[in-house]
Order: sequence, then C-alpha cells, then structure tokens
Amino acid sequence: MNGPIKKILVYVDGTEGSITAAQYAVVLSRATGADLNALYVVNTRALEDLLKARIFIKAEEEEYKRDLEADADRYLNHVRSLARKKGLAVEAVSVSGAVQVEIKKYVQANEIDLLIIGELSHVRSRRDEFYNEAERAMRSVSCSVLIVKDEDRVWELYDALP
Amino acid sequence: MALVDLIRPEVVKVPLVSATKPEVIRELVECLRDAGQISDVETVYDALMKRESMGSTGLEQGIAVPHAKTTAVNALTVALGISPKGIEFQAIDGNPSKLFFMLLAPPDQSGPHIEALADIARITKSQAFCRTVIGSTSAGEVVELFGED
Repeated sequence: MNGPIKKILVYVDGTEGSITAAQYAVVLSRATGADLNALYVVNTRALEDLLKARIFIKAEEEEYKRDLEADADRYLNHVRSLARKKGLAVEAVSVSGAVQVEIKKYVQANEIDLLIIGELSHVRSRRDEFYNEAERAMRSVSCSVLIVKDEDRVWELYDALP
Repeated sequence: MALVDLIRPEVVKVPLVSATKPEVIRELVECLRDAGQISDVETVYDALMKRESMGSTGLEQGIAVPHAKTTAVNALTVALGISPKGIEFQAIDGNPSKLFFMLLAPPDQSGPHIEALADIARITKSQAFCRTVIGSTSAGEVVELFGED
C-alpha cells in the first residue's frame, strides 16, 4: 500500500447511486490496497428539524428513527457482502447526527484519503435548500472526493474482479 | 430524486377549489391520480387523514405539509396546491393554510422521505419565497419559481 490512497471512505445512504459507489470503492480498494470504510448516517438532525418545524410529531420522529436505523443495518450489511465476495474486509459504521457533519468528522478522525459518493441528482434549482446531503458533505470534507457515475460500467468492473 | 424534480405542472393545483381539510386532501390526492402518480385514491386519502388525526400538519404562515407512508406509491410522490383564500387546517397559528405540500412515500423509503420533508422545512423558513409561491396564478409559474429562484 504505497500509493497515494491509503484509506477510502464510501458514504452509503441507501440510494442506488450509493450502492454503485460502494461497488466502485471495492474495485478501487482492490486496485490500490487501500483500507475500505463505509459510513451510514442516521440523519437525526433532519428528524429534530422536522420535529421543531412541527411537521413531525414525537411518535413519528421515533418511528422514522427506527426505520433509518434498520436501513443503516441493511445497507451496511449489503456493503459488507459486496466486499466479502471480493475478499475484502470493510469497516462499516453507522452514526447518528447531521450527515455532512458526521462525514466530515469521520474523515478527520480516521485520516481518510478519499471520500467516494454516489452520483448527485441533477438539480434544476439554484435554491440552496435543494443541495442534497452528499453534496453538502462533498463541499466540506478535507480530503479528495470521487463521484461515481455510470452504474453499468461500475458493475462490469466489480463483476470482473476475481 | 430531488424534491424540485418532483414538482411538475401536472401535480400542482392552482387554485384549489376546496374549502375544508378533508376536501383539500382529497383534491390533491385526485390531482395525483389524474397525473397518473397513484391509482388507489382511498388508501392514500385514508393514510393522510390518519396522520392528520394524530396532529395537524398545518404550520405557521399559511403552510401545510400533509404527508404519509403508504404502500399505494412505490416512490416519493409530491403534490402541491395553492388556495389564495386559505383553508381552515387547524394550523399551529390558527390561520388558514394557503400553500399545501403533500408528500407520500413507500414504507421502505424513509430516508428519501425525510430528506424531502427536510427540504420543505427549509423552504418554509423563507417567508418571502413562500409568499411569492402563494401569489402564483398557474402551475407553470409555481414550477418555474422552484426551478429558477
């Protein structure tokens, strides 16, 4: 592991794009020998904001939090499985908080060299409200960021790994 | 998919003709049916009314965000309606609601549902923008406002 990338972090949020990003992270980890990390953030900041805004009631906040925690387990297990099939270990972690803050903290605390995220949705609006969480994280982390595109090509690369 | 990409002319109703909470929820649900977004009107209506029975989603400043999880949709689904006169929706501040963001999500898509609701929560903080949207006279104008502001 003498290359420029020693620790990769893939941000997983359950979208198809983030799963493709996880596949690409596996491919890149195999190619570079870099350690592979996966992070899911249970977005409790958004839940708190929705409660404060009174869009959610308390029971609803708790229900959605349980849903997100179950999502975290499901998607991180999927990433573990993707890595295991290609003979890799992955440090898969779920944390709670504000997405961009938690990604930034994880990158700093674990000396991540490269953050990998899924393709960003095309946003037609110039309103800041529509920048998604991954995009906010991309702007604030200290390491380099790779945005994974072309699901078919990534699948071919992943599938071709022995 | 970003919330703004879901706000298309066919899911925007301007002006709403309803005068009560049940009527406006049904009017927006039927708007989604007419747009080909849903087929089971009653299941969606019941899910939204059940949520309203737990507490009104009428916020301050004339904004309401009726929402529900339902198996009657297989992706995040949005309808938007404007009632210039306002509709009694048991809002927090007691004022009639004029701008309605209706959001539906399948039970297994809590993440995108929460992110879209959070987008709406951020939008509602901009009173000037909401006033401009409420002043719209056509669906096209609303879509343009969200896309080009």
